[in-house]
Amino acid sequence: MIVPSVVLGRQAGAVPPSDKIVFGGIGIGSRGAHVLSKLLAFKQAKFVAICDVRNERREEIKSTVDQKYGNRDCQMYDDQYALLARQDIDAVLIATGDRWHTPLAIIAAQHGKDVYCEKPCSMSMEESWALADAFRRYNRIYQAGCQRRNGANFQLCKDLLKSGALGKLQSLYANVGPSVNWPPLPSRDWLAAEELPPKQVLDWDRWLGPAPWRPYHSSYVRGGWRNFYDFHGGGILEWGSHTVDLCHWAAELDDTQPVEYEPVGSNVGPYKVLCKYATGVNLVMRDDGWDGSLKTGSCSFRIEGDNGWVETGDATRIECSDNIKPLLRPTESASLALVNHVADLLRSIKSRQLPQASAAAAANSHIACHAAFIAFQRGKKLTWDPSRREFTNDDIANRMRSRALREPWRV
Amino acid sequence: MPQAPQPAPAAQPAKPKPPEPPPELQEGAIARMDAPALIRILTDGASPEFQKAKACQRLGELGAKEAVPALSALLANEHLSTYARYGLEPISDPSADDALRAALPKLTGIQLIGVINSIGKRRDAKASPALVKMMYGADADVARAAAAALGSIGDTSSMHELQSALGKTKGMTRAAVADAGLVCAERLIAAGKRDQALALYTFLSAADVPKPARLAAMNSIIREETAIGRPR
Repeated sequence: MIVPSVVLGRQAGAVPPSDKIVFGGIGIGSRGAHVLSKLLAFKQAKFVAICDVRNERREEIKSTVDQKYGNRDCQMYDDQYALLARQDIDAVLIATGDRWHTPLAIIAAQHGKDVYCEKPCSMSMEESWALADAFRRYNRIYQAGCQRRNGANFQLCKDLLKSGALGKLQSLYANVGPSVNWPPLPSRDWLAAEELPPKQVLDWDRWLGPAPWRPYHSSYVRGGWRNFYDFHGGGILEWGSHTVDLCHWAAELDDTQPVEYEPVGSNVGPYKVLCKYATGVNLVMRDDGWDGSLKTGSCSFRIEGDNGWVETGDATRIECSDNIKPLLRPTESASLALVNHVADLLRSIKSRQLPQASAAAAANSHIACHAAFIAFQRGKKLTWDPSRREFTNDDIANRMRSRALREPWRV
Repeated sequence: MPQAPQPAPAAQPAKPKPPEPPPELQEGAIARMDAPALIRILTDGASPEFQKAKACQRLGELGAKEAVPALSALLANEHLSTYARYGLEPISDPSADDALRAALPKLTGIQLIGVINSIGKRRDAKASPALVKMMYGADADVARAAAAALGSIGDTSSMHELQSALGKTKGMTRAAVADAGLVCAERLIAAGKRDQALALYTFLSAADVPKPARLAAMNSIIREETAIGRPR
């Protein structure tokens, strides 16, 4: 019997098929396709199946994958259970709309799959807890799409804090994007009904998934679902899932949330949510424009200690106080964070060690965002008890910690 | 060392505005209504579907127990049942449990599953006998929902029922029963019934239990037995 050397991984740079991590994808739109393009570049990964409720997306992803591998092997599904039932699939890339993120990730864990899931990872506090519980329960790897945790410029800022160069931590600042795009309070309205396309073109029922029913409108499906409350957590959750998450990671606060949330400003102008941790450290979620006032790029964050400050974002450049400048060093581009993040996931799947953006870490940063979102909706300062998982000064806020999921979905 | 200058990415343009919702599909004043006004929307047969949906959501935030009858009347509605549960789930008054339980024999299919899910979320142990029956019913989706709800209720009775069901169910329902058992064990630990939880985990570690749940159970035993600071 002759065994090709590639099967044994003996060709230069080759990975034996048995060592490859086999992926499927669910709901791969433009963002998901970007992540997929990075994943496909890794020889350790093999992508074999796509599930989507939109026929055109299924076809497009299959075409991309088949072109990359030079075959016709990528299988298409419109039912996530059929994909998840495949025993050869080790992990799934989930890049649906936000409403699906937690339920799908939990279903994947129940099927024994590891997960890479785009952010925001949850639609409510309840979903955040359920997500963390499920991945701990099934001992599966979960990497939230918080790729900046693997970005060199962000890491340098974290290192400066950890080394003590910034002194004692005073305040963290998370840019939550400009309210002109996605304000803190999304719309609770509906769009006028349009004629439903045939189910084989778009399965509206599955597209809605866990979100409450509403009449079909093509704008939602084209990406216009954002800024509608039933599908979206507004600007705070949208961008806080990027930058509040960074603050938690950088300050090693991945196991907790702030205890105070004070909304400042309005839905149509610049706004802030002033938060405070039990330690007295401040977290300021602020609408500071896409690039922040220091033009450090989108998704910027800032750390202030009693001996100095640093700020960075997607422009890679780091701004800091004068005393910190001698400690700076060139870093690779922030755009490489996603490649590093996928590599981190692959390492984690192999080693079974937690990746940078675990379910528990994502849950805590998202809960902070949900709490801030609720405070903005309530228009008042809220106090929060992380251990009891409840607001201590507002019953209505407590009733906003969860959302009913459309039947049959549950978390 | 100075950093190499790197150009900032171009500022992202403002997103194109989505179509404007027509006036009749704007929440408007509903957001500021009190419970009696919201209930009037629900009980007025002429109220549009949109207004009823929004009223349900706001009633859930208000937690108004007087809304329970009006909300539960919508549990069978194809489009509004989720909204009705949106309203009922956060109401702390036991009348919400009573209403959800009372709806069980009146519903079928997907609306029944929704109510079962809400019962599970509220952990209404009084519903357990009905859930046990449904776990063995002909509708597999309902059976799986019932198992999940029992796991969420997570008391000693649920534990026994799920253990029993593991030997009597098949396929995806059996997998759901095993998943529910894992949740139940966590609830038991939280309630201080560690020995029961460990017994359940051991039960779920049997070779014929679906692999993801079996591995999870084994992992949980290891985690529990090696936890530092745990009283023995």
